[in-house]
Amino acid sequence: MKGLIYLYQRTIVNRIKRALLRPTAYIMGIFLILYVGMIFFSFQMMIAEGNFGTPDKVVTILSGIILMLIPGNIISYSKRKGLIFRPSEVHFVFSAPVSPKMVLMFAGAKSFAINFLLGILVAVLGMLWFHIGILQAVVYFLFFAVCESVLEASLIIFCYGNERFTEKFFKRLVIAMYLFMAVIVGTGAYLLLTREPSFELIQDYFALPVMQLVPIIGWTIAVIRLIFLGPDTINLIGTALYLVCVVVFFMAARRMKCTGAYYEDAMKFADDYQKIKQNQKKGIANVPWKNKQKLRQATVEYKGAYAKAIYFRQMLEYKKNATFIFGWNTLLCLGLGVGIAVVGYFNDAVGEFGPAKIFIIPAVVAYVTFIFSGYATKWSKELENPYTYLIPDTPLKKVWYATKIEHYRSIVDGILVTIPGAIVFGLNPVLTILTVLMYVCLQANRLYYNMLADALVGNLFGNTGRSLVKLLFQGFAMGIAITVAVMAGVFLGVETGFFMMILVTGVLTFAGAVIASISFTRMEVIE
Amino acid sequence: MLEIQELTKKYGKYLAVDHVSFSVPTGQVGILLGPNGAGKSTIIKSIAGLLRYQGGVGIAHMPARTLEAKRVFAYVPEVPAMFDALTVREHIEYIRRAYNSDITDEEIEQILTRFELDDKQTKLGRELSKGMMQKVSICCALAIKPKVILLDEPMVGLDPAAIKELKEVVLELKEQGVTVLISTHMLEMVKELWDLIFIMEKGKIVGNFNKEEQKDADIEELFFQITEGGEAK
Repeated sequence: MKGLIYLYQRTIVNRIKRALLRPTAYIMGIFLILYVGMIFFSFQMMIAEGNFGTPDKVVTILSGIILMLIPGNIISYSKRKGLIFRPSEVHFVFSAPVSPKMVLMFAGAKSFAINFLLGILVAVLGMLWFHIGILQAVVYFLFFAVCESVLEASLIIFCYGNERFTEKFFKRLVIAMYLFMAVIVGTGAYLLLTREPSFELIQDYFALPVMQLVPIIGWTIAVIRLIFLGPDTINLIGTALYLVCVVVFFMAARRMKCTGAYYEDAMKFADDYQKIKQNQKKGIANVPWKNKQKLRQATVEYKGAYAKAIYFRQMLEYKKNATFIFGWNTLLCLGLGVGIAVVGYFNDAVGEFGPAKIFIIPAVVAYVTFIFSGYATKWSKELENPYTYLIPDTPLKKVWYATKIEHYRSIVDGILVTIPGAIVFGLNPVLTILTVLMYVCLQANRLYYNMLADALVGNLFGNTGRSLVKLLFQGFAMGIAITVAVMAGVFLGVETGFFMMILVTGVLTFAGAVIASISFTRMEVIE
Repeated sequence: MLEIQELTKKYGKYLAVDHVSFSVPTGQVGILLGPNGAGKSTIIKSIAGLLRYQGGVGIAHMPARTLEAKRVFAYVPEVPAMFDALTVREHIEYIRRAYNSDITDEEIEQILTRFELDDKQTKLGRELSKGMMQKVSICCALAIKPKVILLDEPMVGLDPAAIKELKEVVLELKEQGVTVLISTHMLEMVKELWDLIFIMEKGKIVGNFNKEEQKDADIEELFFQITEGGEAK
């Protein structure tokens, strides 16, 4: 216990000390304050304009959150994935003479701290936005910080520390929770589709007596209703049941025998979580089912030597994938293309934009490319492989062959993004091909400029700083391309402007690729 | 004393350890040998309480999962993992408090100096190389002042000076009556340390030797005698 307190205390102090030494922490702090301020005032305005500032509205919002949050927590705890353990804790905490239940409580400390902060936040915002009384706010905070934390702690011990119930029991519990959530969402969707959709409809739905009598989840809603809306028979019964439940769960958790059998699952999750974090740092998306995919048998004929071998090896790897070079990103592109077409169709984009309609798809794509940092694919792994640097060929060729497949992928994605919109906007075949080309240019631009930022900045400003530099580079290139396009559009016609935009983006992208090829000269360029 | 009784561990349908029993008496050094995938790490992790298993593990005559047993037990895992935001010294301090160890500041300085970490006490866990992490991991285990210590591939990543130091430390622990179990592939490294050898293959103990009975025997010969078709004693 003394050790765990020391551990948390030192971790927090050291993290704060280190954060204060980094200039980016201050910049992030300023951004965060501005962002929170912006969110606060925009919500305040929305609530005031929509006559939303009454206690019954906060009850509905909180009920919705509870209906999704508690089953979600039970699911993650039952799967023994709700608490984050790190390999260092497996090493130094699991073998230490500390009760396994205490280890769980310390791992859950973050959840309890969040409960505490959320309790304060809801109480304060409730008073400011939803006009709840001070007494109600205080009672709510006490309920949330104390009762909810006790209940959550008991649930954690029940799900993690339970050595009596079988794995099957917890699997069934997870299925039951998913079913419950599906029923809640399904019924809500049915009501919204069959009746006139309104906030009041959701309010009435959440206020149904049967909803307040669902064990634990409904009882929690009953307590909220009692605090904010005053007593009625149903919420009094629900509250009584909730309090009994908290006491019973607490007693059961205290008495439950727990020798630490959950350490095995926690250790595995710690390793998986570590991998996820490492992938996130590299920009690799974590698709849960992807790791379980089986590889097929495949062969490839190497047509060429030196840097070309990188391309053929990647092709071999992709051929072994069940979905070849396609993936979830391909589906997202199709979704984006259909989205542009549908929104454009219903908003009469052709009439609104006139000849400038040809810029709609590139503008949306540029925005999406700019906002989302993209995903790392096989090319970025080349930088971790010493042979990439040892192959006797020029860095520019290595860059080209390491990223060649990305361009094929971009062509397919570009077609999916463009075709639906091109049909709706009535673009001719040449313009459609140019739009696809524009998409390919934009993706290549992002790829090479990201590589460029990595090569030039490295870890100098940390991950956030590097992301900002990437955005700056991309924004700069896009800015030049758009300026040229607008000028050419005004003086020489819209189509010429469009062509000039592609040309300038292409030239800037190539220039970026040439400079970025320094990444392929020495392994130390990127840490 | 470290006792393993009928330890069995399955990963799904795969039987990783099959009814393994052995014991290392107080003040002796046991070496767990075996090729990759023999089940050594599974046994080590089971003893450390990190895995579910069938059978029994006793540490200093106490069930391994009890807090009393954990108080006198130290574990050096194969892959060390440090707390990112804790310094080397803070790692030791955490151990001192977690185990309520009576180790003094002078003794901590001594251990850190022996493993050439005295000038790296303020370095954070995230700033350490793999070898340094391994040294910190060993120092933390020693800071417990254990009665039973488990070392899983402890020489991996260590520089020659640290390997030499670790060997001396193991012999000192033995003299102090500490029970030591080392799991390793590196036969050469444990030549002068062993009292008992347990050779594992395919989840089972296929041979065990006592140094007193095998006075002039070479550890490599004993190992290959068993794993390359010889008979277990």
